[in-house]
Amino acid sequence: MEPYEVFRQEREGEPMRHGGSVVAPDPTLALHYARELYARRGESLRLWVVRRADIVELDDQDLLNPPLDRSFKKPGGYVMREKLAQARVRTGQSKRSAGPG
Amino acid sequence: MTDPLALDPVLPEGERSRLPFNRDRPHDERYRAFEEHVLAGGKVEAGDWMPEEYRTSVLRFVEMHANSELMGVLPERDWIMRAPTLRRKLALTAKIQDEVGHAQLLYRVAEDLGKTREAMIEDLLAGRTKFHNVFHYPTRTWADIGVIAWLVDAAAIVAQQALRDSSYAPYARTMKKICWEESVHIMHGRDVVVTLAAGTPEQRAMVQEALDRWWPPLMQMHGPRSDRDKDRDLHWRIKAKTSEELRQEFLGIYVPRIRELGLSLPDPELRLKPESGAWLYTEPDWAELRSVVTGHGPASAARIGFRREQRDATSWVRATILGPAAAA
Amino acid sequence: MNGAGLELLYALADDDFVLGFADSEWTGIAPHLEEDVAMSSLAQDELGHASAYYGLLAERTGGELNRIAYDRPADAFRHSRLVDHGRGDWARTMTRRWLYDTANAVRLEALADSSDRPLADLAVKVRREETYHLLHGQAWVERLGGYNGEPRRRLIEALELVGPDASSVLAALPSEAVLVADGILPVPSAELLERWTGRVAPILAGLDLVLPPPGAAALDPLTARSGHGPAFQALWAEFNSVRGLDRAATW
Repeated sequence: MEPYEVFRQEREGEPMRHGGSVVAPDPTLALHYARELYARRGESLRLWVVRRADIVELDDQDLLNPPLDRSFKKPGGYVMREKLAQARVRTGQSKRSAGPG
Repeated sequence: MTDPLALDPVLPEGERSRLPFNRDRPHDERYRAFEEHVLAGGKVEAGDWMPEEYRTSVLRFVEMHANSELMGVLPERDWIMRAPTLRRKLALTAKIQDEVGHAQLLYRVAEDLGKTREAMIEDLLAGRTKFHNVFHYPTRTWADIGVIAWLVDAAAIVAQQALRDSSYAPYARTMKKICWEESVHIMHGRDVVVTLAAGTPEQRAMVQEALDRWWPPLMQMHGPRSDRDKDRDLHWRIKAKTSEELRQEFLGIYVPRIRELGLSLPDPELRLKPESGAWLYTEPDWAELRSVVTGHGPASAARIGFRREQRDATSWVRATILGPAAAA
Repeated sequence: MNGAGLELLYALADDDFVLGFADSEWTGIAPHLEEDVAMSSLAQDELGHASAYYGLLAERTGGELNRIAYDRPADAFRHSRLVDHGRGDWARTMTRRWLYDTANAVRLEALADSSDRPLADLAVKVRREETYHLLHGQAWVERLGGYNGEPRRRLIEALELVGPDASSVLAALPSEAVLVADGILPVPSAELLERWTGRVAPILAGLDLVLPPPGAAALDPLTARSGHGPAFQALWAEFNSVRGLDRAATW
């Protein structure tokens, strides 16, 4: 007997989301139990069960959120307000163009 | 020891946790950082570092809750076979199934904190851990089923909704699922009570009698008033409301709903103080509560005995196919 | 609808009703919490199916669902001998369920072509729900049979006890001739029994087991669904204990 993590899809197009876990002797019964605990009310469109022992986890914050500046990777790292204002003045435009890109 | 339906002030010193609520002890930085995180509303997952005190508190809290779901099945089980219509039988079976399901969810949360299911059940059967007072009482008539499904569940839900934001995230997530599932039970219970209250004189008398019997344990259910500052489970944000807050909430919603059916409540002091919006009531018998949850309730021994019998009758399955090292 | 059709409906309904009742006793006390929830669903499904059949009966006789289901003396119930047994231990429950569900599947597949259209439609729906039951049942029989020691021993014991009565599910009803002639039962019972044996025998053979031969009482139309034992008598008393207080009241 070992824990199996249960993932479920609630609505079409949505990703599989972790729902909880069941303890079972093998994948066949794990799936049966997952249906009972996480879908007996018809609340799931799809189910996955995965042996907990097969899951590889990362939660090291040095790897997931490294300390040095990486703002070049994010949209918020590009602030163009001043430069755009100057460009509009140079070219005699009064309106801003819409959109991020 | 505190539990979801707070008992801490009532239990004698020796029964409280061996780990004192250690405000006055020197702590390392890690403990402080953890405490700050939790007090600021931060969440904790199963694999995170946590102070032993926090782990112990959460485990006890969740274990008590799990035990209560498991024992809560027993008063109602007998009536599955006696349900008077197909629809009632299906509704009752589904409700009890949900309770077993909730026990599974809660024992899973506790297992991931390091205690095995077998150990928890053994502690329960040995009386080392506890379950809610209401499940130590016998059920005598079909009307009891309505009262339990409606009002006992309502009182539990009031407590459970306040737990959906618990600092211990696996528990909080479980509570959200449980609350969602519980909303149907209350309707089934209320329907049984409403039907009986509107039925024959014998049915009305049956439900009034059941209500008279269940009201005192219901009033005790949330536990005595506790001191906010001394409540460790509140400190660690495992729970968010005090016993009295929960009891007031329960009374506020359900007393009017009971009375509108033409049913009376057996407490002459029960009334709403208009100025404060608080409910006044006869002080529940806390000595009775303590006696009951320590295993001296009218049905405590029978229920524990039954659980033990059933566990033993199926132990051959857990020793083999559903065992620790089963070959498929 | 003629008497033959009603007789068939009662057989279908009572089988699911009594099995659902017996198995719902596991709620709260199954070997394992996850299995408890699963078992409860299976029992509820049987009761739901029974309700559907009683619903058809109610329409056709002008009766009311619960009166038809409950308000009969014990010997008026027409469930099969297989289902008359008490639930026993976990092995007996799993074995009996599997024998019943496999036979029921054969029956329902045939009824999908029934000349009784409403019954045919219902049979299709029920059969689809039964797939889930068959998966569970077979999983357990295989695990019990494949585990040397107590699980296998208990499976064998269960087979010996309920196996001889398993054929009662598909045994001919007294009105078989009319049912087949009218197309209500599109396939004669003898053939249904063969189909069923053809499905369960290989699975048991794979476990080095054989299905016990049918008892005479299980095959005889006059005894396959009557002569109920103490287990059912006790069940009947329980499910009438509240309703019996006042059958005219609304519960």
